[in-house]
Amino acid sequence: MTVNRRTLLAGVTALGGTSLLPGIAHAKGSVVATTYPGTWEDAYRTVIAPMLKKKDDIDLELAPLFAMDQIGKAKAARGAPPFDVFVLDPGPRIVGIEAGLFDKFDGKKLSNFSKLPAGFTDEYGVQVSAQVVGIAYNPKKVPAPKGWGDLLKDPWVSRLGITGFQTTFGTSALIELSKLFGGSLTNVDPALVELKKVLPKIAAVGLPAAMPGLFQQGQCDVMYTNTQTVATLKGKGIDVEFVKPESGAVAFYTTMHIAKGTGELANSYKYLDVVVSKDAQGALTKPPYNFIPVNKDVELPPELPMKSLDEMTKYVQLDWSKINPLRASWIEKFNKEMAK
Amino acid sequence: MSVASDLIDRPREEGRLRLAEWQLALPLSLAFAALFLAPLLLLGATSFFNDEKITQPGFASWTKFFGDPFNYKVILDTLLLGLKTVCATVVIGYPVALVYIDLPARLQKVLIFIIVMPMLLSVVVRTFAWIVVLGREGVVNQLLLWLGVISEPLRLLQTELGLVISLTQIEMPLMLLPLISVMSRLDPNLRDASAALGASRWRTLFTVIVPLSMPGLVAGCLLVFASSTTAFISQTVIGGVRLIYLPLVIWQQSLVVYNWPLAAVASLSLVVSVLSVIAALSYLGRRSSRHLHG
Amino acid sequence: MGRRQSFLDLSYALVIGGIAVLAVLIIVSPVVIALMTSFTEGRSLKFPPTGFSFGWYEQLFDPSRSRPIHRAAGNSLEVAAMSTLIGVVLATLAALGLARNRARSARVADNLFMSPLVLPGIAFGLAALVYFSTLGFRPSLNLMIAGHLIVTMPFILRTTTASLSQLDPALLDSSQSLGASWFYTLRRVTLPLIFPGIAAGAFLAFMASIDNVPVSLFLSNARTDTLPIRMWGMMESTLDVRVAAVSGVLIGCAFTLMLIMEWTVGLTRRMRD
Repeated sequence: MTVNRRTLLAGVTALGGTSLLPGIAHAKGSVVATTYPGTWEDAYRTVIAPMLKKKDDIDLELAPLFAMDQIGKAKAARGAPPFDVFVLDPGPRIVGIEAGLFDKFDGKKLSNFSKLPAGFTDEYGVQVSAQVVGIAYNPKKVPAPKGWGDLLKDPWVSRLGITGFQTTFGTSALIELSKLFGGSLTNVDPALVELKKVLPKIAAVGLPAAMPGLFQQGQCDVMYTNTQTVATLKGKGIDVEFVKPESGAVAFYTTMHIAKGTGELANSYKYLDVVVSKDAQGALTKPPYNFIPVNKDVELPPELPMKSLDEMTKYVQLDWSKINPLRASWIEKFNKEMAK
Repeated sequence: MSVASDLIDRPREEGRLRLAEWQLALPLSLAFAALFLAPLLLLGATSFFNDEKITQPGFASWTKFFGDPFNYKVILDTLLLGLKTVCATVVIGYPVALVYIDLPARLQKVLIFIIVMPMLLSVVVRTFAWIVVLGREGVVNQLLLWLGVISEPLRLLQTELGLVISLTQIEMPLMLLPLISVMSRLDPNLRDASAALGASRWRTLFTVIVPLSMPGLVAGCLLVFASSTTAFISQTVIGGVRLIYLPLVIWQQSLVVYNWPLAAVASLSLVVSVLSVIAALSYLGRRSSRHLHG
Repeated sequence: MGRRQSFLDLSYALVIGGIAVLAVLIIVSPVVIALMTSFTEGRSLKFPPTGFSFGWYEQLFDPSRSRPIHRAAGNSLEVAAMSTLIGVVLATLAALGLARNRARSARVADNLFMSPLVLPGIAFGLAALVYFSTLGFRPSLNLMIAGHLIVTMPFILRTTTASLSQLDPALLDSSQSLGASWFYTLRRVTLPLIFPGIAAGAFLAFMASIDNVPVSLFLSNARTDTLPIRMWGMMESTLDVRVAAVSGVLIGCAFTLMLIMEWTVGLTRRMRD
């Protein structure tokens, strides 16, 4: 017991000590960038942060927030952005453009500009990766589902974990599910009706950030999610496989934007330059991250759902300018319909 | 300095001192006005705006919130969650206090230590511990499966039952400390006298001990109620998002949707409903103790 | 009647004793279980844990892999220390000013200062966020210290007022009648006598600040998150066993602190009174 307590005490001292270090070792500058909780946070902390530190001596501070939350936080800050760089999905990107949250972006300021396919930068920001949304399942617990519709049938439904419209992957999956039951891009009611019918059987309803944890704990064995989350779970030794639904997986580009009013403009460009560099993109492509790269010099490894970015056209792409105006009411509707 | 002048000086000095003594509370009062009262007043003012950008004054946020029957259910569920937790902590906690007064002093110390210990642990740690206990592959399910009581793991996380069980443990110290504090001041002779008059221990419990321990019991109930209705992390992590309570609504409206006026309305509803239950509880407590003494 | 009586007394002992044992089990077992899980070799939080290792603790103390956790812990300590320090000064002064004042206004002020204890914390957290951002402040540790000060100060005020009210007024009077100045009396007589009360209150306030969620939830950002907020994030998303390791460390700290407080100021006695 005493030894135990002593080790703990030593640990506490270490904990207190190390926390003081970053304050002493001051870097040349820092940049606060948002990242998605989970895989993105892990990957950027492990891969990008050390690269940026080594190359430009800039400390990367990561704020894990979903795209919608970033937009909300930036809007609420009214001109004093709480972070320097956004990472967004297509839907929130449009909201951000409409709200004038982004600094005018000049792709040519990136030394890696020539390595990006044409049209990957515009006056708002730069595309840094592509994401694919489909179904994840635990092969040891349930057979492979074929499409979105299977989620509502046995044996999957009783092991299903669902989440609402707060995230792009949740919204995409629910829209696709809705289409199977007569819904459309702008009508998700059929999906909610069908979900409500089987609600008592559904294993878990969680906040989006909680889904990987629920899957990991065995609270649910099937869920809709994106390929990176599956890669991370696999990396932790969890039994999980990814399925492209019969009706097609949803794909979209993830973009990064510099916040208007940032005090770290130069460092923000340096950060984005590292993000799209060959080294960074190459490292992010490998397991357990499996990001889809945008740098032309990086080859797509076989684990990825597509062989080249040209295949993006074969995936389902959603028109987010039509979805955006409805999303707030969908979030509310989901909360109410799924409440006990 | 002569004795005479000392005598003359003293009353004046005392007068000055009393003034100074009162003034000692000024720094705290100022801090409180600037950091507590002003924010709460501003929160009240914010609720009387119609739009997310806080530009148009009006009652729209109030009518929107209270025009939706769903929100009444949320308020009711929040208060019920508090009351269920209070009941559970009373039923489980009261016997601990009873055992406490019968223990020798040394063991009393150990028991207090056991009770206070979890209070010093972060609520987050206690919540986390319950995930391990209640999870699908958690302790309870493993035990029941092993005993053969069940063949499929029970769902305990994301249920209200699981949440109330966890909150009972998490809030227990808040019930026990005031209760033990009052109980240990009870005159032991009272119990002996009751026993000597032929009353059973049950009778003594309900006619002597419970009425006399009322102030501690009420104080404990108030603290447990206030704490469990606002326990955001336990509510979301153990309860999941299907169980919607006011703190989740406040969090979503303020930090996800960024509709501060609506979040302000939800917060004020939480404050008013929690404080009125607390007022009712303490009124009942006062009445029962007055009943006893009068 | 005698048999009935003894049967009743037996049932009393069984029921009350039984529930009390159950209660102690419920209080203690989650803590023990969390502690056991933290030594698992496995990657997930299963019970019983598989194997025994310090692996998760090593990962927790590894500066490069767990830097955000370390920084959050540092933030928590800084906020708790500062808010407690300021709280001790303000609350001790106020207690000295109000403890023996019987005026109605003094009672009102006292009740007001105690009100953060029952006011739903999440409402105050939101109020503080709205207030500070209206005033144009950006999230910082200073704002968090201000917020924590309000919600933790009542603990110090309560224990200090309690020790002041137990103080024998004759002591102070005799000190002053012996010619000691008010300040001298305060420094040499009053403060030493109420010191255990202040210390116990400071301890409770410090722990309450370390544990605070509602205020930190609203006032923190990526650079200023505190340990509970960071742990909540870890619990929500990637349920890694480091959460258990952090819990283990905190259990160790709390246990040690309790022992120290018990030896120095008799914490259990003070919590009971």
